[in-house]
Amino acid sequence: MITSRQRTLITILIVIGSVIVGFFGWRAFRAFNQVREHRPPPPFAPEAAPVETDVELIRDWMTISYISKTYHVPSKTLFDALSIPSRDNEEKSLAQLNEKYSPQTPGIILEVVKAAILANQTPLPSVTASSPQP
Amino acid sequence: MADFLLTQIINYGAPILGLIVFIGAMGAPFPGTLIIVAVGAFCRQGFLSWPITGLVAFICVVLGDGVSYSMGYYARESILRRFSASPQWNRAEKSFQNWGGMSIFLTRFLITGIAVPVNLLAGTGRFPFKRFLMYDLAGEAIWVFGYGGLGYLFGTQWEVVSDFISNFGGFVLGLVVLVAGLLLARRLLRPKSSKIDDPA
Repeated sequence: MITSRQRTLITILIVIGSVIVGFFGWRAFRAFNQVREHRPPPPFAPEAAPVETDVELIRDWMTISYISKTYHVPSKTLFDALSIPSRDNEEKSLAQLNEKYSPQTPGIILEVVKAAILANQTPLPSVTASSPQP
Repeated sequence: MADFLLTQIINYGAPILGLIVFIGAMGAPFPGTLIIVAVGAFCRQGFLSWPITGLVAFICVVLGDGVSYSMGYYARESILRRFSASPQWNRAEKSFQNWGGMSIFLTRFLITGIAVPVNLLAGTGRFPFKRFLMYDLAGEAIWVFGYGGLGYLFGTQWEVVSDFISNFGGFVLGLVVLVAGLLLARRLLRPKSSKIDDPA
């Protein structure tokens, strides 16, 4: 004979399990579709670390030196755009810089960095220009 | 938390990564999988050396797992004083001897949210350490080099991979809970009259 305690345990396991499966299943499905949309760069391409151009991938946790190397824009250019010294700020994230220099305007450092990169990025050679057709 | 840790990793590299995965393997609620995928991308970008970083992460996470196994191992006496008389405890211990290897292996990379409780259970249940280590090494190799490899493959777009892995892990955990509930229901609700012979 099943006790009420066992019945409660079974109900909790089934209900919680179903909720978790539904919630994460839906999110995993959506994430999987996103993965399919983002085709990775060729793993063994001659240029192993291609220049990133999409500024929407910049996040608050990144440092200026990390962004500088990823987007191939000198860190001096970025610090100049922010009008802040590079000294003592090289290892700070954008969120920390924002907190230190513009605490009243959240997200402003991120936006200035994005704009500076767009304005200073070296244009990539176009495919048609580099591969002439016979 | 994840943002702070990622900033520290791009500043200080493999040593801080080793520390993070070591403490995470002992139970600190760090987003380890996200970090490993991100580190793969950092290696692709040339910020970190992948052989050194991979090796440091692998060694540190295995050491952390060993420590949490030891915590369970040495806490056995106090746990037994409380539960040893219960048949459920004995059944759970026996069941872990049968299924523990697979649990250890799968919780290293697929259901990482319950990896630490499994380590503690393995230690408490005196699951042989050599076998624990064997399954642990295999599972953590997939976690570090498989997930790190995916981060390496996707480079700066690593967030989409990390998002999928995290959600898929949650989905599998939900399946485990659901199946456990269904199996328990089946066992308890099964009519016990099946062994009763036909009165005729």
